[in-house]
Amino acid sequence: MNNEPVKELLYKIADDLLILGHRNSEWTGFGPLLEEDIAFSSMAQDKVGQSYAIYQMLNNLGEQSPDTVAFMRNANQFHNCQLVELPNQEYDFSLVRHFLFDTADALRWELLSQSSYEPLAQLAKKIKGELRYHTMHANTWIKQLGSATEESISRLQNSLQAAMPYALGIFEESPYEKEIISSRIFAGEQELKKRWLAKIEDVIIKTQLQLPDSKVIIPIYGGRSGKHTEHLQPLLDEMSEVFRIDPTAEW
Amino acid sequence: MKSLDPRVTRLPQVGEVKPKRPLDQFGTFEVFVQPKEGKPFQHEGPVHAPNLEMAYILAKETFTRRFTCTSIYVVDTRDVLVSPTTEGNQSAYELITAKPAGSQKKIFEIYQLAKRGKQHVNAGSVEADSPEQAMLLAKDLFNAGKIVYNVWAIEKDKIRFTTTEEKDLWNTLPEKKFRDASDYKGGDKLKEFLTRSQLPDTGIQ
Repeated sequence: MNNEPVKELLYKIADDLLILGHRNSEWTGFGPLLEEDIAFSSMAQDKVGQSYAIYQMLNNLGEQSPDTVAFMRNANQFHNCQLVELPNQEYDFSLVRHFLFDTADALRWELLSQSSYEPLAQLAKKIKGELRYHTMHANTWIKQLGSATEESISRLQNSLQAAMPYALGIFEESPYEKEIISSRIFAGEQELKKRWLAKIEDVIIKTQLQLPDSKVIIPIYGGRSGKHTEHLQPLLDEMSEVFRIDPTAEW
Repeated sequence: MKSLDPRVTRLPQVGEVKPKRPLDQFGTFEVFVQPKEGKPFQHEGPVHAPNLEMAYILAKETFTRRFTCTSIYVVDTRDVLVSPTTEGNQSAYELITAKPAGSQKKIFEIYQLAKRGKQHVNAGSVEADSPEQAMLLAKDLFNAGKIVYNVWAIEKDKIRFTTTEEKDLWNTLPEKKFRDASDYKGGDKLKEFLTRSQLPDTGIQ
């Protein structure tokens, strides 16, 4: 069996989760409310945990160990979309990114629960509750701040405008798109994007925010093939700093 | 006042005490957790939030990120009727007086404090026309002569419950042992290290 299509799919899902998990964990200790600090940190931990489960699948397909894959690659070997590597900026941006990414992520796993690749289908079922919380959390905050004060609405609107081209980059197609779809491993990025647009519109419409028109926005691609912003390498350097001191250490 | 102790020198001079400004923060919501299927809900603590739905979202990770949980619910602190608190041999139920009956019957969740310093635990629910009436009914239904030091009555319609489909929120929680300090077995690792490096055992666990 040619494993390349499924490996490519696993790498991009895992890298998205690891990088955003790490980014979001940078809020630990700095969240806007004590309760929110805890919630955001927990979800970041979930994401890193999910990425670990996928790196294990890759390991079973002959790739290096999860720690090696997570900590020893350079930026151009990562397959994450650029949205997840952008700096946190202020909380409005982090929340909007959380909303845009996690909506896509939950829908991706919903599709993957039907995957012909059994390990993915099983993981999809296992983490359904975690994803439910992540999207509940995101939707509740967007609905809350999207209709609260002039400042909260304009902050979210600006962040939405800034994040949208990157968010559309989530759906950058794989060179194996046709094989992935025909072998029923995954329904494909186009199908996911269609569902995502409908879902985020459902939430935005309940607020005073305006959803930017995705048809006139040029998506920012490149992340899936290792082209990244200048922000990814410093994140990797920091994340892997301790591991790289002694890669053979037992923890 | 001259002192090297910063706690003393920071104190305002007598006569200069100014009233505090009103708190600029959200109201509180009480969080109740069911740790296992079949177990009663118990009070865990409050969260700050702008409304009930936000309170639910924030309560979930604040109070159920460790161990096990099957369900939670939240209610505005102002919707919890609290009885007087007693000590020694006096039961809180003795101090509850009935209020004039309302016209509409509602369901109330009753919480009892069986031991000072412990959590309030759900005793059951009763149908009554006021929270005070609910407490008096609860005394006969759930109390059976035991001493409780505090009673709460919460109108069921004011509670944000966990829906049936949301019950999967805690599915992976038992696996998150990395949130529990004991899972790191620090003592064992230190012992191993000391043995390996042949240093004298300090007895630290």
